[in-house]
Formats: sequence, C-alpha cells, structure tokens
Amino acid sequence: MTDPLSHGRLDPSNRSLPLKKFHRRALEDAMSTQTTTAPADAARIVEDYFGAPIRMLDSWVGACAQELAQLLSEGSLTRPRLDAVVEPYAARTLALDAVPVYGAGFIAAIDLLTDAHSHLAWWQGEDGRKLVLASQTVNKEYIDYSELEWYRVPMSTGQPHVAGPYVDYLCSDEYTITIAVPAVAGGRLLGVAGLDLLVSEVERELTPRFAALGHQVTLTNGVGRVVVSTDPRCATGDSVRGSRLADLPRVSCAGVALDVIVESI
Amino acid sequence: MDSLTSSPGARTEQDGQRNRHPHRLQGALFQPIGDEGRAELVERRLVDAIHRGHLRAGERLPSESELARSFGVAPVTVREALLTLRGQGLIVTRRGRNGGSFVVDDADPLAFAHTALLHTSRLALRDMGAHYSAITGAAVRLAARRADPSEASRVLRRLERLEDLDVDQQRRVLDDVLVELVSLSQSARLTREQMKLQAEFSPYLRLAAPDDAGLRAQSASLAGIIAAVEQNDPDAAGSRTEQLVADVIDALIHLQSSRPGVP
Repeated sequence: MTDPLSHGRLDPSNRSLPLKKFHRRALEDAMSTQTTTAPADAARIVEDYFGAPIRMLDSWVGACAQELAQLLSEGSLTRPRLDAVVEPYAARTLALDAVPVYGAGFIAAIDLLTDAHSHLAWWQGEDGRKLVLASQTVNKEYIDYSELEWYRVPMSTGQPHVAGPYVDYLCSDEYTITIAVPAVAGGRLLGVAGLDLLVSEVERELTPRFAALGHQVTLTNGVGRVVVSTDPRCATGDSVRGSRLADLPRVSCAGVALDVIVESI
Repeated sequence: MDSLTSSPGARTEQDGQRNRHPHRLQGALFQPIGDEGRAELVERRLVDAIHRGHLRAGERLPSESELARSFGVAPVTVREALLTLRGQGLIVTRRGRNGGSFVVDDADPLAFAHTALLHTSRLALRDMGAHYSAITGAAVRLAARRADPSEASRVLRRLERLEDLDVDQQRRVLDDVLVELVSLSQSARLTREQMKLQAEFSPYLRLAAPDDAGLRAQSASLAGIIAAVEQNDPDAAGSRTEQLVADVIDALIHLQSSRPGVP
C-alpha cells in the first residue's frame, strides 16, 4: 500500500499540509471502522445472499403443500401428479435473479406417494431438464435420501436449512449447496421444497463481495468446512480443524447455519 | 522411440524428430470415435444396467419419453434401442394401462457376472482392480482428511442396519455406502468416477462373495475403512481399501481358474 504521506513530503508547498493530515485521519478512521465492523459486514453479506433463495422457497412451499394435501386426501398423489404440481414452482425458482439456481423442485417424504417409496420432482441445468434417476449410470432411484442432510435436517427441525457444501451425486453431480424448506399441510410433513446452488458459482459471486471488505474472509459451514474464502491458501472443501483458522473467532450468520472467519490482511 | 523419458544425450535426435512425431497426448486426442450410433449408446447403457442389476428382474423401465428426455436423445432413438433389447430377451413390453417395458423376470446379475468373468482375462481383472483401487484409495484418503467424524459415523450407522434387509438390498446398501464414503472427499470428479467404477465393479464384488458370510466379511472390511475415515487416518483408510480390492480380485481369479473350460 502506498503511504498517503509520501506525496506531501515531496511537495514543498504549505498548501498540501492540511490535505495530508486529512488523508491520514481518513485512512485511520476507515481502518478502525473496518476492524470493528468487518465480521458483521461479512455475516450480513452471507445473510443477504442466502436470504433471497430461502424467501423464494418460502413464497410457494405453503401453497404447494396445500395442493399436495388435496391430492393426498383424494388418495391420488402419484409421481406424475406431484411432478405436475411442482413444475411451475420449480420453473419460477430456476428463474430467480438474486442467485444462480442450478436445480429446483420438491422431494417427497418417504412413503408419501401411492406409486413410489420415494421421489424427487426436480428440474435442473441450463435448460431446466427434468431429472430422471432410473436411467443414470448407477440406478440412483433406490438411493435412500432419508439420511441426507438436505432432507434430514429440515424434516426433523421444521426449519429452512442451508445444507452442504457436499458432492451431490443424486442430482447435480457437482459440489453443491442445497437450500431446503419443509412443506407442511394440516400438521403433516409432506417433504421438502429445495434448490441447488453450485459452489463454483457461489465462489464467483461471494469472493469479490468479501474481498471488498479489505479483510481475509472465510465462510464455513456447521462442521467447519470451508465454503469459499478470499484466502488463496484456503481450499473449499477442507476442514478448518487443526488449521490456523480453527483458533480464530467465528461469527455466526443469522438464519443460516454458516459462520464467517475474518482476519485482517 | 516409444520411451517416455530420454537421456540428455538423446536430446538432439529427439528435437529433430519433434516435427515429424506428434506429442503422445495428441494420440489420445485423435483416437477413433467410432461410428457407434446414439441408439447403440442408449442400448449399451440399458444393457449394462440390467447386467449389473441396477435395473432388476421384473422392474419397469421409465417411459420412452422419460428416457429420451433423460438421455437427451429423440424418442425414436430410445424406441430403436428398446427394440434391440427386446430382441436380446432382456426386456418385455406389455400393453395397456399398466403397460410399459419391463426387465425380464429371469434376469440374474450374478449369472451375467459369471458369464462376464469367464470371458475376462486375468490381466483385465487385475487392471480393473488397479483402477478401482487407485480411485477409491485416493478418495478415501481425501475423505479421511476432510470429513467431519459425525459424517463418517452416519455412513457407518447405515452399514450397521444391514441385517434386516434381503441380500439384494444389502448389496445396494454396500454400493450406496461406498459412493457416500467417497463423496466425503468433497471431490465431485472423484465421486463421479467412483459411481462409474462402482457400477462396473459391483457385480464382481458380489461374485467374489456370493454367500451370506462373504457379504458380512466385505461389510466388515468396509466398516474398517469408514472407521479410519472417522478417525481422520488417511493411511489406514487407503491401505484398507487396497486390501479389500486385492482380496476381491484374488477371489475372482481363484473362482475363474477353478472352473473347467476356462482359457
């Protein structure tokens, strides 16, 4: 960083003196302000970023659950019916501007449907193509998702959840963050509404916003795994366990189970 | 001339040949693509799935239009592939309200694997083991460094619930658990590679230990690998994986050479 005083030192005119003092004070003020608010600012960036997709899911999950409950009471909730109900909501979610949504849809509670044990009504990719699990390399149709974080956590807590990052071998086949909110109608849990973000896209979007704070910012999940970091030494997917970062204070973000670790450069 | 390394003294000659001999990797680039059509590719995918038991006896295939959407091909291409499969006696098609294409009732992955084993050279078996071992070993090492112990123990608990399931389901859980374990590496590339390998290797894992005791032994080896990941011990996780694969390949070669009429 260039010394703001160096210019004044070279300039013999008296006129530059007050100016030079102003520069210095402004810089000091700015630095002390950043030191105190950078962690909160970083946390706010994260809350804003993940807030938009959570609100998007919240905006339709109730209505969707009502439609499903209606079909359920008629005893006719099948895979094609579920797909038909969910498709317009998924399309709306895929079109969200605030974050790059890779996939979206609804995951049925186990044994909810009359014609299948489990089902993902899911659309993904650039063309928003319907996911068909049975025809893939490994038949994924039988993979039991009841234990996977994006299903298990919202189903057990009844709260929205930001799951991952994790390798999503079921849907995107990429390193993914899944945001999922539980769908409830008449006190019954029908499944989760969700959307996928690719971590590479999140990295592209969040890293510059963190870098603008002028500090080293690392975003970690609930188990201390690095989601993205401005620090080039810090790899996404690594655990902060046993590293330098493990000893630094973590600031938790409101409404999402993510933490930021902020270091001055 | 085919050597990848050259002594310093040979350099001048090598440099002189540079223009005439394209770089070795260009060889891979210009490998023949073949004129295998899209219908053949779809057919191959489905045949593999039936042979490997990922589509089971009596199971209904997704509809033609679903398959077409999923594979990204025209419905007519899927229809052509299904016609060939019908001709091979792997699927039957029923008309009517609950109609569609179904895997034939006597499709037996173990029998398919037996036949495949008898037509595979020892060299190819050992090479398959080397490939599987390299990918899975690297992935579990990475998983041991990166996974949270709580994630590994959740995978381990799935193995413990194996007892209540039938043999087919147990095999599926083993496949699932392996992919899940590998995904703890946090590497999408390694996980995708593992899924492809697992699809190929799974019938052989089964063939190497067709009875209950064999399955329990494989499950115990797998539990040992997961435990090493849970303890964040990359070396133990890697070497236990290599041992598991070596045991499977040995068993297959033993099985192959104990059968009459094998070349």
